[in-house]
Amino acid sequence: MNFKPGHDADGGWNPYLAGALSGLVSILSVWLVGKFLGASTTFVRAAGMLEGLVAPERVRSLEYFVKTAPKIDWQWMFVVGIFLGALMSAVTSGSFRWRALPDMWEERFGAHSRSRRALYAFGGGTVAMFGARMADG
Amino acid sequence: MKLLIYGLVTGIAFGFLLQKGRVLRYDKQLGALRLIDMTIVKFMFSSVLVAMVGIYLLVELGQVELDIKKTILGGNIVGGLLFGIGWGFLGYCPGTAVGAVGEGRWDALWGIAGMLVGAALFAEAFPLLQRTVLTWGDFGKITVPQALGVSPWLVIPVFIAGGLLLFWFLEKKNL
Repeated sequence: MNFKPGHDADGGWNPYLAGALSGLVSILSVWLVGKFLGASTTFVRAAGMLEGLVAPERVRSLEYFVKTAPKIDWQWMFVVGIFLGALMSAVTSGSFRWRALPDMWEERFGAHSRSRRALYAFGGGTVAMFGARMADG
Repeated sequence: MKLLIYGLVTGIAFGFLLQKGRVLRYDKQLGALRLIDMTIVKFMFSSVLVAMVGIYLLVELGQVELDIKKTILGGNIVGGLLFGIGWGFLGYCPGTAVGAVGEGRWDALWGIAGMLVGAALFAEAFPLLQRTVLTWGDFGKITVPQALGVSPWLVIPVFIAGGLLLFWFLEKKNL
């Protein structure tokens, strides 16, 4: 096992080490700020904000958007931070690269499968988020 | 305002570690679902084990309170199955989809768009679900130690031992 950061070409760390450190981040957040880590509630807030642009009445009438108001809160910024942190890590380790298709996907479906990838990812995302909200996770 | 900055900083730290752990990848997530590359399982379990001990210590010291979600079998099981199907097609979970875009994997943008639609659809379906699925097997806010009627400090070592045994197995099988 390799515990030394920056050993591999992509700048990746040992997954146990990175995972354990993320556990420490989680503890510090709960301790210092009282916030447990999560992401999927933010998709509800963002969906409410976007839907509010075209159908504000509808958004106001839905109980779920009253309960989970369309506004920017701690977790919303946490999710923005995930994007920025990943970007920083990728750029500084030289592993940032624009990729339209994942390697495993391309092996299976070929290089000319971008529309299929869009369809699967969009449909999968729709079902996954519906399920995540149903399980309250 | 201060809370928003805390959120941003925590997210940056977390996203940084997700990228270092190589878990922002379709190949790793599908790799775990296909039982051929358990990188994300190693990352997640390490995170959970460390956080479990730290947070229960803080609870013990009266520093924090647990924020427990309700156990509703209907929602947990049906929702979990739907999540699994969707995750298999998308290859990213909500947080990692956002992080994946951060390292240039822009196919995750389709997933993010889909997840926003899924959230909006759920808001529409919520009243109906609340009368049906979300009433099936409602156990309220319970934890494993509470359900077993024992101290958390009996359950925690068992989880740690289970986790370490799993890690040992994964390394042995070179997963």
